[in-house]
Amino acid sequence: MQLQDLAQVVRSKNAGPRRFTLDVIFRSDADYQRATQSEALIAEKIAPLYGVAVDAVTVINYPLGRAIKIVVPRQIMSGDPGDRDVYGAQQHTPLLRLEI
Amino acid sequence: MTASARILDHFSKANGSEPIRILGASGQLGYGVPTPAFSAGLERKPHLIGCDMGSIDIGPYYLGSGELATALAATRRDLRKVLLGALKLKIPLIIGSAGSAGAKPHLEQTLAIIREIAREEGLGFRMGVLLDATEVDAAANIVGQMGMSAFQRALAAGVDVVVAGRACDTAIFAALPAVAGFPIGPAQHMAKIIECASLCCVPGGRDSILATLDQEGFELESMAPQRRATPVSVAAHSLCEQSDPFTVQEPEGRLDLSRATYHALDDRRTRVVGAVWEEAREPWVKIEGARHVGERAILLCGTADPRFIARHEQLLQEVESVVRDLVCEDAAEDYVLTWRVYGVNGVRMTPVTQNTPLGEAFILGECIAPTRPRAAEVVRTTKQYLLHHGYEGRLSTAGNLAFPFTPPEVSVGPAYRFNVYHLMRASDLDALFPLEIETV
Repeated sequence: MQLQDLAQVVRSKNAGPRRFTLDVIFRSDADYQRATQSEALIAEKIAPLYGVAVDAVTVINYPLGRAIKIVVPRQIMSGDPGDRDVYGAQQHTPLLRLEI
Repeated sequence: MTASARILDHFSKANGSEPIRILGASGQLGYGVPTPAFSAGLERKPHLIGCDMGSIDIGPYYLGSGELATALAATRRDLRKVLLGALKLKIPLIIGSAGSAGAKPHLEQTLAIIREIAREEGLGFRMGVLLDATEVDAAANIVGQMGMSAFQRALAAGVDVVVAGRACDTAIFAALPAVAGFPIGPAQHMAKIIECASLCCVPGGRDSILATLDQEGFELESMAPQRRATPVSVAAHSLCEQSDPFTVQEPEGRLDLSRATYHALDDRRTRVVGAVWEEAREPWVKIEGARHVGERAILLCGTADPRFIARHEQLLQEVESVVRDLVCEDAAEDYVLTWRVYGVNGVRMTPVTQNTPLGEAFILGECIAPTRPRAAEVVRTTKQYLLHHGYEGRLSTAGNLAFPFTPPEVSVGPAYRFNVYHLMRASDLDALFPLEIETV
């Protein structure tokens, strides 16, 4: 099953101009458990999707919000000449097809 | 008696026996405060109206240029609404990050609108203005995010309205409870949530939210009946625009949410307890600065030709080279030309393999040059040579591009970039964020 068919929310947004944060939120505790146990959402899998080093990626499991938070450095600072997404709100799509 | 003195006197007499009600009016003042929810909030007799007016999300332009991100008429309407609401109830109104970016020009424009409203409505009040004395640089607007201690000083000075330059959004809502003797952990946690108004609800929205804070924790209730604050929706809000859902860094300390718990009071209200505040040994301030990097002109055009689309990368490079030879005949190569091809790589920051051929693509050319005429020269020349660029196998020899309108080249004005974004140790926050009192 792909992440886009399991998750309730898959979103991205700047967390300051140097990083963006990806939040994946699930409908139920069971879906959340399934995602965390599948090891699809770990730094080693995320880093190549965003072209960054594995140790630059932070993954935080947040069971209270049935959510997995991923923090990725931006390769270009928000609003710098050549940026494509000043708010960072459309950088979630590489996650959608991850196999869970 | 000023509003802040009246409220602080009230809570001093209550001696911890009474909760404090805070109305989060707007997540970003100037984009519209929905009246039904705001009016419902006023009927609940809040002790404070707080409004965040800014953010760094909007990019470097507004900080750099000194312009407001919001429309003047909408900003005036929102300011009038919250000002009249607070003065009617005789409660403090706190506005943080005035004028979108909170630098001196933004603060001045916001104050001018407030004074104008006061004249029109015949209002009189005492206004605390929190300024920013962070390092001034001629080439850039630099601001520091003030924390709750600045607002605490303003409230203690006896005011009806506080307007601040760039501020932590939490400080707007946490300062009054802190001065009134409520525990800072839950006050800061509440502030972190209500600064976005009803965004923590399902469905999330921009309507005003009411927080009721006591000595142990707080309750949240959206003032829009269709928006429900549930334990999961409120807990999930801690993820919002934060790199760590368990920790919030503030100038005066650190908020630890790892032991926070959320439970439903009913299907629309959630109670939150357990946030812990750890005071910093030495405060720090987040500094933001934006610098002018040139003048921007853009080119807007599209293509539906499969041959052009298939080879667009090479063709754009060829045209860039032709243009460079022309516009640099008698001038230095003093500009940067950037392409975003929508349908291919306009949005995603990481390259993607295209599986199916595209039907159409939109091409955005962007030039940043030292002057406006220079940027215009580059994009105008580029337009003409891209339109008529010949290549092997070309069938559409009358033109490669579709223009949605003319002129397709637009001068969009100065371009900025964030040149400062870091943490600064600050031993004297009072000196960094001076308070001025004005009688309006």
